[in-house]
Amino acid sequence: MINRFEDYFPFGKAPILILIITLLAGIFLAFNPVEKNTASLRLWTFARNHAVPYQKATPAFEAKHPGVRLDVQLVHGEAVTSRLRAAFWADLDVPDLVEVEISRAGSFFRGPVDQVGFIDLIPFLRASGMDDRIVKARLAPYTNRGRIFGLPHDVHPVMLAYRRDLFEEAGIDVESLESWEDFIREGQRLTRPGERYMIELSDNNPGHFEMFLFQRNGGYFDANGELIMDDEIALETLKFFIPLVAGPRRIGSDLGSGRVFTQAIETGYFLSFICPDWRSKLVETDIPRMAGKMALMPLPAVMPGGRRTSTWGGTMLGITSACADPEMAWEVAMHMYFDKEQLAERFRETNILPPFKDAWELPAFREPRSYWSNQSLGKLYAELAEQVPPQYTSPLIETAKTKMGGVISSCAAYYREHGEEGFDAFSRARLKEAGDEIRQYIRRNPY
Amino acid sequence: MLRKAPWQKILLYALLSWCSVLVLIPMVWLIAAVLKGPDDLFHYLFFAPLQRFSLYNCRQLFTQIPYLRFMINSFFVAGCTVMVQLFFSSLGGFALAKYSFRGKKPIMVLMLGTMMIPAQVLLAPMYELIYRMGLVDSYLGLIVPGAVNVFGMFLFRQSMLDLPDDLLQAGRIDGCTELRLYWNIVLPVSRPMIGAFCLIAFMGSWNNFLWPQIVLHTQGRFTLPIGLNQMVGLYAQDYGAMMAGTFLAVLPVVILFFLLQKEFISGLTAGAVKG
Amino acid sequence: MKTLFFRLQHRYAPYIFVAPFVILFLTFTLYPLVKSILLSFYITNGPQSQVFVGLANFRFLWTDPAFHKAVWNTCLYAFCSVFLQLPASLGLAMLLNSALVRGRNFFRFAFFSPHLVGQVFVAVLFSVIFIPKFGLLNRVLHFLFEVPVDIKWLGNPNLVMPAMVLTSLWMYVGFNMIYFLAALQAVDRELYEASMVDGAGPFRQFLHITLPGIRSVAVFVIVLSTIGSFQLFELPYVMLNNTAGPDDAGLTVVMYLYQNGFVSGDLGYASAIGWSLAFGVLLISLIQMRLSGTWKTED
Repeated sequence: MINRFEDYFPFGKAPILILIITLLAGIFLAFNPVEKNTASLRLWTFARNHAVPYQKATPAFEAKHPGVRLDVQLVHGEAVTSRLRAAFWADLDVPDLVEVEISRAGSFFRGPVDQVGFIDLIPFLRASGMDDRIVKARLAPYTNRGRIFGLPHDVHPVMLAYRRDLFEEAGIDVESLESWEDFIREGQRLTRPGERYMIELSDNNPGHFEMFLFQRNGGYFDANGELIMDDEIALETLKFFIPLVAGPRRIGSDLGSGRVFTQAIETGYFLSFICPDWRSKLVETDIPRMAGKMALMPLPAVMPGGRRTSTWGGTMLGITSACADPEMAWEVAMHMYFDKEQLAERFRETNILPPFKDAWELPAFREPRSYWSNQSLGKLYAELAEQVPPQYTSPLIETAKTKMGGVISSCAAYYREHGEEGFDAFSRARLKEAGDEIRQYIRRNPY
Repeated sequence: MLRKAPWQKILLYALLSWCSVLVLIPMVWLIAAVLKGPDDLFHYLFFAPLQRFSLYNCRQLFTQIPYLRFMINSFFVAGCTVMVQLFFSSLGGFALAKYSFRGKKPIMVLMLGTMMIPAQVLLAPMYELIYRMGLVDSYLGLIVPGAVNVFGMFLFRQSMLDLPDDLLQAGRIDGCTELRLYWNIVLPVSRPMIGAFCLIAFMGSWNNFLWPQIVLHTQGRFTLPIGLNQMVGLYAQDYGAMMAGTFLAVLPVVILFFLLQKEFISGLTAGAVKG
Repeated sequence: MKTLFFRLQHRYAPYIFVAPFVILFLTFTLYPLVKSILLSFYITNGPQSQVFVGLANFRFLWTDPAFHKAVWNTCLYAFCSVFLQLPASLGLAMLLNSALVRGRNFFRFAFFSPHLVGQVFVAVLFSVIFIPKFGLLNRVLHFLFEVPVDIKWLGNPNLVMPAMVLTSLWMYVGFNMIYFLAALQAVDRELYEASMVDGAGPFRQFLHITLPGIRSVAVFVIVLSTIGSFQLFELPYVMLNNTAGPDDAGLTVVMYLYQNGFVSGDLGYASAIGWSLAFGVLLISLIQMRLSGTWKTED
């Protein structure tokens, strides 16, 4: 019978097979069409632990605003950017609200300020009085040329998480670790390269280094968008940081994330690690066996009385300029980000501190956590929240971070070979080289 | 080499076996990974003991992302693409092989040129064009731009060159239109090349990543590569499910290759060896 | 009966047959091509904000350190592809050519199967294989050669490109082997017999019979390989989790194009990169074909 069919369809057996499969697939798809998007507002986010609470909160929002349908979509991070770009370019299909990660946000601020794909939120902030009730420093990364393009999702203060049991065994009094000098001293006593490190620190990922940089009031760019990644503060930080991860007196190392990290903590390979609020929840989930044995301490200060925290990571929520109903979109933002009822529950689920000061008074933020040796995680992070240093942004922020990673890498390699000898000159030159490369890109920008 | 001492033969087989083991190891590991339970993925180097076999990873895969939907989307798009490409490319190859007409040379030069241009250059203007045509975020947006496969046209031309002209002339004398010639004479004879082409085209469409990534917006239309990439981003630590997803994504192509092995290889090399 | 219709369709059939190709080519290749050439003379940030800069994009490419890094990475990769992969493929083909027919289909299938897996899926698979400490590669290496287990393939800037080369070696060795195998089988066996009578050893046979015999296929494979490796993008992109890797170690030219065009939004610069790549690839292919003395005229 197939042969008869072949007379009508002379392409052969394989195409027949493919034809049949295609028809079957087509029939299935015809009966299961993609749901038409009838939502009045669409919100894209890239993180699963954001999307789930938003989706949970959607019915309450729709109840408050009858007739409005909100669609929260989880879109993989890279795809958000490329799709937004493609959408902006062809001026179509742009969602109304988008969550963008802090290091990516800057790239959307290229071009004339009137054509940035997000609307200026200053009028909304003023009208609702929110501008005083949000941690000011967290608006900085999403501010460009005098306009605020995104609402901060978080504060992300950073503490050090440590193995309380191992610290006690080693006779460390956490209260006495007030400055980095104290910490390094203990670290050098306890570190045995290859077996145990005082702290997890990476010698090529700029994320860890940045934390130190921000703590010292440094950064990649200043409030005016000028490049400061190769200034004196950066150099000092670099010279401080490299001996921590390279050379004979190092106290830090890095294995990667995921299972490798879990095992490292469980076996005491790392005694402590940098822990912003979001990481604490990941740790609770991924390393359940350490429950009750972990604790948090504020970062040691650079100088007595100095800042005891820094920051790592962040997300903004922006309203796109294609949005037909910005007022309603603002309502969504208010509901998702600043609705006190949800924030309590959300904090329990994610440990992420919102930048909304009023919320920190809620009881949920004061609960003791058994995982963290009964410390009141929310209280600790909230106390540090006001000290979080601002980060300023630029369209070139990602390039700058990559270049910094390269600088750290090569300085670490140099330090391993030559130690202190000539290190100052080398790191100064290397940093300047990276800075000049970024300046080259800045000069090219005609906007 | 016809006469070989036995020790030479053994050495040969040993070498070949060793090499194929090396090459097959990642695939074997993949299959093993699919069958391992939740905590066993890294615990056992390859296969867990039989009683620990578990389809947990597959279950995770299908519950966490709409994998089945992605698969059906992929089948649909790949299948349509193959059909369309098959028709147009064989038709075009036939014309280039058996006719002389004005513009033939320029067309062949154009074809050669297009193969050298990195597709990524054309990405953004193509996207804008697709948008103007209203085909963004649609299956057509994937199928239409790729409806002609230039490499395929070359392949068909190469294989059809060998077709005896008298056969075609005889057909014409009998009153066949050119289209009938194509349909009833050329195509059945070209079946091996068609088989090869089907595999190539199917593979190309099935594994295509960048263009669908940009064109498709709604998750309900995603194809497997994009779906899996999304999974890497969002569920990075769930290695078991990712491996299950990879395995199931590779299976259809492997099966197709199994069926079409001979044609594929003869078709692929026809262009190179003869030319 | 030679009706008018019959004569007309006979005359115009070829045009109609190639019409789909021509139409699609004009729409989806020529138009975007021209547009992207125009674009390369602008710095853009979206449809309304294009700034004409003439040749400035190309001039900047000349001094752009990231572009240099991308070119370096890509050339390194292409070089390794041609000089590592192809000899390996040829070697395998020669082994397979001389073996008995019985096992051949199996071996052929075994060696070719990696190619069936698309770049994206290979990237996902190998990103797990390359995991330090627990991944397959490190454990096997540790077992066989006592290599330390926590080598970070994808986290160490110096190991990223080697990891890519290794992965693509796995992917493509079988594919090229198929070509070589077919070419080897086309070489006349009598030549070998005759040379053995003359007392030629295997090495001389290889140099004087095998190599010239597979010459045209070899050139074809080399050119194809080179063009393909210059377009490397998806493999490192997916393996490095949609980034360019530590210190841009995995940055290829096409990835840089993608970053500029679809992440930063400067499609003008991206077009300039794309055209530079096209030009470079064309040049290298022409040189390769010239050097091997095969410039065939078709028809």
